[in-house]
Amino acid sequence: MVLLARVTSLIRNLTRRNRVERDLDEELRATAEMLAAEKMRAGYAPDAARRAALAELGGIESIKEQVRDVRSGAFLDTFRQDMHYAVRLLRRYPLFALTAALSLAVGIGANTAVFTIGNSLLRFSPVAVSDPDRLVDIGRSFDGIPIGFNPASYPDYLDIRRRTTTLEHVYAHPLFTKDMTLASTTGTERVVGDVVTANYFTALGTRPAVGRLFLPDDNDQPGASPIAVLSHRLWVRSFKSDPGIVGQTVRLNRYPVTVVGVAPEGFQGTTVVAADVWVPMSMVTYVTGSTAAQLDARGAGWVVLGARLKPGVTFQQAVADVANIDGALRAEYPGQQHPQPFRVLQASPMADKMPLAAAALLLLGAIASTVLVIACANVAGLLLARASGRRREMALRLAIGANRSRLIRQLLTETLILFALGSGAGIVLARAMTTALISLLPALPIPVHLSLTLDWRVVMLTCGLALVAALLSGLAPALHASRADVSSVLKDESSGVSARFRLRNAFVVAQVALSLLLIVVGGLFTRALQQASSADAGFDASGVEVASIDASALGDSETTGMNYVRELIDRVGRLPGVNAVSTARMLPLASESMGLGLSLPGAVPAPGESSADVAGNGNVVMPGYFAVMRIPLRAGRDFTDRDAPGAPLVAIVGEEAARRFWPEQDPIGKQLVMNAGTGAGSVLQVIGVAHDVKYRTVDFGTVPFVYLPMRQHYTSTVTLVVRSGDGRSTADQVRTVAAAMSPPLPALSIQSLEDVVAVGLTPQRVGAFVAGSLGLVGVLLAAIGIYGVTAYAVSRRTREIAIRSALGAPRGSVVRLVLRHAMSLTAVGCAIGLVLGGLAGQVLSTLLVGVSPIDPVTLGVAIALCTGVALAACYVPISRAMRIEASDALRSE
Amino acid sequence: MTQRASLLQGTLDLLILKALSTGELHGLGVSRRIEQMTGGTFAVQAGSLFPALHRLEESGWLASMWEASENNRRAKYYKLTKAGKRQLGEATEQWNRIALAMTKALEA
Repeated sequence: MVLLARVTSLIRNLTRRNRVERDLDEELRATAEMLAAEKMRAGYAPDAARRAALAELGGIESIKEQVRDVRSGAFLDTFRQDMHYAVRLLRRYPLFALTAALSLAVGIGANTAVFTIGNSLLRFSPVAVSDPDRLVDIGRSFDGIPIGFNPASYPDYLDIRRRTTTLEHVYAHPLFTKDMTLASTTGTERVVGDVVTANYFTALGTRPAVGRLFLPDDNDQPGASPIAVLSHRLWVRSFKSDPGIVGQTVRLNRYPVTVVGVAPEGFQGTTVVAADVWVPMSMVTYVTGSTAAQLDARGAGWVVLGARLKPGVTFQQAVADVANIDGALRAEYPGQQHPQPFRVLQASPMADKMPLAAAALLLLGAIASTVLVIACANVAGLLLARASGRRREMALRLAIGANRSRLIRQLLTETLILFALGSGAGIVLARAMTTALISLLPALPIPVHLSLTLDWRVVMLTCGLALVAALLSGLAPALHASRADVSSVLKDESSGVSARFRLRNAFVVAQVALSLLLIVVGGLFTRALQQASSADAGFDASGVEVASIDASALGDSETTGMNYVRELIDRVGRLPGVNAVSTARMLPLASESMGLGLSLPGAVPAPGESSADVAGNGNVVMPGYFAVMRIPLRAGRDFTDRDAPGAPLVAIVGEEAARRFWPEQDPIGKQLVMNAGTGAGSVLQVIGVAHDVKYRTVDFGTVPFVYLPMRQHYTSTVTLVVRSGDGRSTADQVRTVAAAMSPPLPALSIQSLEDVVAVGLTPQRVGAFVAGSLGLVGVLLAAIGIYGVTAYAVSRRTREIAIRSALGAPRGSVVRLVLRHAMSLTAVGCAIGLVLGGLAGQVLSTLLVGVSPIDPVTLGVAIALCTGVALAACYVPISRAMRIEASDALRSE
Repeated sequence: MTQRASLLQGTLDLLILKALSTGELHGLGVSRRIEQMTGGTFAVQAGSLFPALHRLEESGWLASMWEASENNRRAKYYKLTKAGKRQLGEATEQWNRIALAMTKALEA
């Protein structure tokens, strides 16, 4: 009953507001008249009676206000009024509204874009994996970056699995998925294969869609379990969802395996890489280029591990457990090189393969939040400027009985509308920004599946962010404006102004500082990119196309595989338009590395070491590699076809290696000893010296480098490198040749070397682009801030300036007066920005190889840019100050 | 401060309900009736009276209608609804309990 009454009145209050208002007016008017009549009966004259009545009532309008406040829906009502008023105001100052909303849109949009990408990477909800929060990833730590893994060795896996007391279902799979050739009755295709230990699916708690998955008792011994599990996607795509596939035999890299089942739809383990097929570890030597020796080699890192925490075990206990095992292994195998300690991380799609993406993402997040802060400072500055223009209005409203909380609410409503506009535009902008960011990421060599649709969590987060930002940037101006002291304002005041002015100055300084920070960061990355992609990387990537080939899929033996690669090189080399062709075990700047396993003749191993390995990296190449890559040979000769098995073993060393191994001597003819593999103990003769090339992304410093001829050191996974003569892509022709080979290389994936190299420079590229462009936006926003402050200063000092010039002060002194203020703000902002930029440079130094964190060029350009923009922003207010005439100024008062 | 306001508000509500228990009145009438009932102890300000009347009306305890006043002016009259009468009963009972308790407490 009571509730019903409330609802009825609420509806009436909201829908028939005019009627309700009229009734209230009528009621109070009648009361006043009756009161006056009472007074007249008591002997007052009519006029005096009316006045006395009104005095007793105490102000009809203020009673109305109080009645409105108790009405149902009073809040909504006020809100509607506030909205109405705010929209009207914003429409009256469209430039203000547009600037504020636009700057917010950029800030919120940038954040939403980063959240969207981050959400898809970091949100850990792997499909068809039970209780993923209890899963951990284990690898060796990554130098210089607190995230990501270096691979561990297979014996590491066996040891951890055997010794752990805190983990169960310890599994392993290679750090990188492998391209494989799948041949079945439906045809031949390239698929992405993952090699996993037999307990993989059990560890993840995954159930099959069809058939069965691997079971822990499927044998991991080489060749023991010729079976495979298909992904749901592959099953639908290539086998028309036929459940009859279970039990059939297909060929993976020409090796027959029996399909035992299909993984559930959407399953891709805990990674972002979507494999098409899984085979057990027992197949690793058959379907990949790995040799059986790799399974036993304690020093050969190629797997990452995963495991599930035992019930009741905490993550920290598992970390301590693995650290103990690491210590024990170091004690037991003192001769072994354990380059980095084990690292245990909560399982996440970021953990294993994407340290670069993670770094880029962190960076993006930092940049995007900085932009939002700039935007908020800008809006707050604009609101403050508005607030000073509205002091009179506020004072008046306070004087006629509005209460202060109501005024604050009204000002906050305006801010909220701005932010609503800003976030709306920001979400639209975010879509474009996400696409732009993704297009900055180079074509990855692995199929990465990220869902980049805006999901409601991201939108919620954005709205929350906007709300918090709105309250933060709206509150200070609102409090200031509503503190208008009635009498002083109406008397045309000056108290309170300086406080507000200081606040505005602070906002402008913050904007300048943060914009400068962004520009410095963008500039540093641009410089790092220049450094990295300049010819000084030691090779020329332009015009080179590459394709990775797994020869183990084609020839069962070293001889057939070798002949196949030679035949391919020969055929591609004869194509018109191809200048040079060769193969290499790995590519420079592509985040790959290969240990040397070489020592100098006569070197004595250090105590506890089994051999006296020299530090450094190596590569295995076919003749012509140096020509394709345009790596200059400083001395000696390239490999030739005669550097074959049986011929004397040879090597080409890099300049750094020559310098370190044989300082001040001619390296040609010097010798190196092989420590590992089948040829252990054999002696290599140096036949050439090559210009040094940068091989790793993280350490750009040159390391000793040794090239070995592929004919003397067979490796089944190679990358074909082709240089075209006229810069036109030869990909189609190469594909035709590959398909005409016997057996054919189907669906060869060909990339430009520039793209491959770009993968390694992703964080720098993203950083340069995002920080640079947003920094420019920030500077523009700061310019608006400087303009606002200067214009306000000019308008406040109109009288002073007018009097000065009337008294004969030269125009120049007026300019100086105005300029000094703006420039001192800019200078303070720049100083703070420089300190921040220097700190950021230190933090980012791992990504800024080759550039000093305090790069004078970058800092100089950034300061010049900020100062220039600040001067430009002062131009309009100054020219206005110049035109001030004493008579106008006095009239304006 | 808040406590006093809420006590007064409760008291004012009860006084208004009581004032209207004998028949319908307009706002000024309610005010005069309360003065009369309390022997002039409570002089209700219009700024408190009208919001209270509207609040009680929205709570469903009062109903209102437009009628001619004693000097033939259209005026808004309030009267108790059934729910209002019930509320008056409950509030009176509660008040008596409180008053008794207070008296006891102060005499003890």
